[in-house]
Amino acid sequence: MPGKIRKRSPLKLPDKPYIALGLEGSANKLGAGVIKHSPDGSTVVLSNVRHTYITPPGEGFQPRDTAQHHRQWAMSIIKDAMKQAGISLHDIDCICYTKGPGMGAPLTSVALVARTLSLLYGKPLVGVNHCVGHIEMGRQITGAQNPVVLYVSGGNTQVIAYSQQCYRIFGETLDIAVGNCLDRFARVINLRNDPSPGYNIEQEAKKGTRLLPLPYTTKGMDVSLSGILTSTEAYTLDKRFRMDGVANEGEDVITSQDLCFSLQETVFAMLVEITERAMAHIGSKEVLIVGGVGCNERLQEMMGVMAQERDGQIFATDERFCIDNGIMIAQAGLLSYRMGFQTPITKSTCTQRFRTDEVHVAWRA
Amino acid sequence: MSRRAGVNVPSVRMVDALEGVLGLQWIDGKSVRFLLGGGAEGEEEIEESAYEEDDILEDQSEEEDALVEFNISKDEVMQKIGVEIAKMHKADVIHGDLTTSNMMLYHPRSGLSDLVLIDFGLSYISSLVEDKAVDLYVLERAFSSTHPASENLFASVLQAYERTMGKEWQSIGRRLDDVRLRGRKRSMVG
Repeated sequence: MPGKIRKRSPLKLPDKPYIALGLEGSANKLGAGVIKHSPDGSTVVLSNVRHTYITPPGEGFQPRDTAQHHRQWAMSIIKDAMKQAGISLHDIDCICYTKGPGMGAPLTSVALVARTLSLLYGKPLVGVNHCVGHIEMGRQITGAQNPVVLYVSGGNTQVIAYSQQCYRIFGETLDIAVGNCLDRFARVINLRNDPSPGYNIEQEAKKGTRLLPLPYTTKGMDVSLSGILTSTEAYTLDKRFRMDGVANEGEDVITSQDLCFSLQETVFAMLVEITERAMAHIGSKEVLIVGGVGCNERLQEMMGVMAQERDGQIFATDERFCIDNGIMIAQAGLLSYRMGFQTPITKSTCTQRFRTDEVHVAWRA
Repeated sequence: MSRRAGVNVPSVRMVDALEGVLGLQWIDGKSVRFLLGGGAEGEEEIEESAYEEDDILEDQSEEEDALVEFNISKDEVMQKIGVEIAKMHKADVIHGDLTTSNMMLYHPRSGLSDLVLIDFGLSYISSLVEDKAVDLYVLERAFSSTHPASENLFASVLQAYERTMGKEWQSIGRRLDDVRLRGRKRSMVG
């Protein structure tokens, strides 16, 4: 049997404690976190503060309003993060911010905050790819060595594997992201956006009893989700559909719970399929789920069954680290900062299009 | 099905539908992924911090050895891949999971030098250009993700594929270009 290949990590142990502040605001969450890498190789999360912009039921978050929210809360969130960490801004080594991908207006408002702090305190800036942030945080928290990563959130759906200093995308969505698909359906059936539409779908789905036929669209290693959303929405116009779920004697009804259940089962099955194929191809036995949809316990359960059948292991984190947060930006940013990477202030832009595979992962072998 | 079209696949030796057992021919060889240095299945990479001095670094010459042992050049392997896939697509069989792990090369000691396509678990019958193009695209992605240094190798796979497919290639090739543009958040500059 082939054994284990040892590779030396290019990342040296820190010669002194390094502390980084991470600022995240690529979607409707604004987060600030402080992380510390010690000379003994340990990593400590000093603080992780987040505030979410929550819209009324039936509405999504618009870029302009979201940016407004971030500007309003930035000061208090950062102050909270510093207070909880028990340090001052003078003590940190670098300021990490999300360079992309994400919504333009929220990204720029947070980047502006990062630039201002950088100039005020004379600290270097580090621009971070949001997806890489998720992956590095997941690896740090779970201790997974070389997992296949399923990154599922409101804006992204990707199956990622690491190879030769690059996180390579094996499969992804061809249209909308899985979180977007679930959130938009939550809007159709008027679920609350608090704490998150996806969480409420999950709770509703637990009460669903009936699996309705929906399209199953994997295309090669990719998935397509927009048609499934349309088909699910079409069921709400079906004459058997009852929003309140009340059925008269002997009546055949479709409830919104059934639809949540069917939607979840179908899209998660597709995600498990493409993840399994990536695992089979790479020969990895570890799978790591990151991103906002990653805290869905049904997805974790389905992935767990698949991993078990392959004698593998599943790694997942809870909502503190799954959902967008500042600490993941700090972690990924600090890793690249320790490899000597900095973003000069003249280049501290952000971009809505920034693919995971465009990042040079200097800190891994 | 594929076999009738002259594609090299493992032959079926026994089927027990009641027990759900399928017996297939044993291929005495190695997967193409292994031969191209993508590591063997079940192999794991372990990263270590730099301060552990006495670790053994991976020997890069292993893949060269494998190809020498099989007495074949990388380019010849690529040619074989292209031809096999084209034969399969001509029979309107879509593999559904074309990766370098799902192709095997006979070891010379077996007296054969064929490339064999395996694992038809996700295959189906289709004559659509779209399905064939996506099939090729899956393989292209598998190449770039497992064998990053060998991206130009895929070009020679396509060349061989083109030659065997004949005039059908025109529409498939055009569709393949379309399929490559799919995916989100690509830079649209330029």
